[in-house]
Amino acid sequence: MAKKKVFQISNALTEGLEETVSAAHNYTGELRVEAIPLRKMELDPENPRDLILTFEDLYNGLDKDDKNYLRKAEEKATLITLSNSIKEQGIINPVLVYKHGDKYRLIAGERRTLASILAGKSEVQAKILDTKPEELKISLLQWMENVERRDLSLWERLKNLEKILSAFAADKGMEFNRVSPTDLGRLLGCSLPHAMNFIAVLNADDKVKALIQSNKLKNLEKAALISTIKSDGIKQNAIDACIAGATLKKLKSISTQDKIQKQTTTQLPAPSTRGRQATLVNLGTTKKIHVVRLIIDSVLGHEKLTHLKKHFTDLNWADYKSINHAFKQLLKTLEQIEAE
Amino acid sequence: MTKIIVNATHKGGEGKTTNSIMLAEYSALVKGLKTLIIDMDPQANLSGRYIEMEYDPAYRGGKIPAMHPDFEVGVDSGWDGRSSIANIFYGEEVIPYPTAISNLELLPAHSHKLQEAEAVTKNEVLEKVHLQLKRFLELPDVRNSYDVIIIDTPPSKGPLTIAAIKAASHIVIPAQMEQFSIEGVYGMLQLWKQESYYRTKENQINLIGILPNQVRDIKLHKQFLNGLKMMKGVSDYVMPRVIKKRAIYTEILVEDANPKSIFDLPKNNVARLEYESACEYIMEKVYHG
Ligand SMILES: Nc1ncnc2c1ncn2[C@@H]1O[C@H](COP(=O)(O)OP(=O)(O)OP(=O)(O)O)[C@@H](O)[C@H]1O
Ligand SMILES: [Mg+2]
Repeated sequence: MAKKKVFQISNALTEGLEETVSAAHNYTGELRVEAIPLRKMELDPENPRDLILTFEDLYNGLDKDDKNYLRKAEEKATLITLSNSIKEQGIINPVLVYKHGDKYRLIAGERRTLASILAGKSEVQAKILDTKPEELKISLLQWMENVERRDLSLWERLKNLEKILSAFAADKGMEFNRVSPTDLGRLLGCSLPHAMNFIAVLNADDKVKALIQSNKLKNLEKAALISTIKSDGIKQNAIDACIAGATLKKLKSISTQDKIQKQTTTQLPAPSTRGRQATLVNLGTTKKIHVVRLIIDSVLGHEKLTHLKKHFTDLNWADYKSINHAFKQLLKTLEQIEAE
Repeated sequence: MTKIIVNATHKGGEGKTTNSIMLAEYSALVKGLKTLIIDMDPQANLSGRYIEMEYDPAYRGGKIPAMHPDFEVGVDSGWDGRSSIANIFYGEEVIPYPTAISNLELLPAHSHKLQEAEAVTKNEVLEKVHLQLKRFLELPDVRNSYDVIIIDTPPSKGPLTIAAIKAASHIVIPAQMEQFSIEGVYGMLQLWKQESYYRTKENQINLIGILPNQVRDIKLHKQFLNGLKMMKGVSDYVMPRVIKKRAIYTEILVEDANPKSIFDLPKNNVARLEYESACEYIMEKVYHG
């Protein structure tokens, strides 16, 4: 008997719709822009600056007796082009400020603000926050703003995303790579499949990342699919096909070979040892920081090794490079101890 | 405050144009409000309902509005006698056309000029296209002339639709209860979301909701409608009214239709009752939240 046909809105679409509505509710007005008087703006004394030129320098003119006169004059000269463009068409990208008493403190857009003063403007377009935001909030705002711009490459979006994720992870006291697709989806207001794609691409190997960076892989879905292919050969096929313009569907059919191959390889007998005789042990690689942590903690738990702990107290556990370095150091130290 | 209602979805044939017409005529005829209807779609279907559209001699297949009835040769120097909403993108004057329906005026489409605006990709120019309709509708002259402005959009998520959404106070998404239509709804919800990020509390963009259109008494439609009503958050935006599939909604759209408007039909006509109830719901939301 034929099964009764059920028409349904797909799970992905349902999630997308629900999350869009909830993001719209949660972030209403977050990116609003208003014109504020330049005279009411000030720098945030707590924020490090690249420039030493101040607002007053531009209002009052540079003082020849200022010990920084030369440097300030140079800085001022670098603002001329921007200032001319602001004279002609205003600021394209609004600056970001937060309310501080009756003043507005600058979070982002120092050069734009200085150039606006130089252009003789009295107002500047700004996004206004009620309080000083945390790092995470700033990256989120940048993300929301950037998604709006279509000319951003996949690579640029990923760089943005990395910032958000590390800010979020730091905020929650968790590791960078433990942020789940659900967290990410909520954070960005995007659908779960979309968030999963982002995470897949963030975890891609260096080769895939290089192709994204050089804009050879441009599409998130395709890059995500390729990132999850295990077999090197099939991955290369998929990459070649993708660059040659294959559709997502075509790539999916290539990637299913990966699954088939995986199944068959597990049934093959273990290959016999051939070639050179092994003279060293490869400790392997892992993306999972908690595994590394477990190994290091266990080693350091050894009664003869507790004195090494001090080398790890300052380690940045969100940064693969530092962990790699620290682990290599540990291995070396261990080798020396054994030799002694 | 003038209310600006946009009908949008990037899927074609969902009922944007039909719903724009019905809402505008309800507002003008039934409510007696001073109403302006704007055709932002290069297809110019809506314009053809109210005024004569001519084929553009310069661009094959394109349409341009007929001469404006107020145009006088010799008197109006510097004006070629035609006017369309696309003029706002060219820094040209915009002069609404009267229609056969009292209280209702039209700003028609101009296929080629609108297509050009829709095709803009350069960032600085794009920015201008996005904001131009909003700037125009914020002019005191425009605000003071109309209580309600209804905007019909092309089936896209491009610059013209974005411009309409940036100008809007309210959005209606007409949609059939079918797979691709729901994807169109998704696209529009995203534009609404993006836009709401930029609005202040006082100047919000209000999503009135999804209006199920061309609904038939079949399983597919029921299941999709129920699916939407089950979704968290989304269910608040599924209008508790539906428009059924009826031939009369198509027949009444031609320029020389008789009667002129669905709201000229007898008060107990089912089609009139059905659309009137949907329009009533929408206007109630617009005026009383
Ligand atoms: N409820 C309905 N019953 C029957 N026919 C309808 C109904 N709603 C719309 N139609 C018809 O479906 C077609 C598409 O409708 P309409 O032009 O309003 O959609 P649209 O979204 O504006 O399309 P486009 O995307 O091309 O601008 C038209 O021929 C219209 O008359
Ligand atoms: Mg239409």
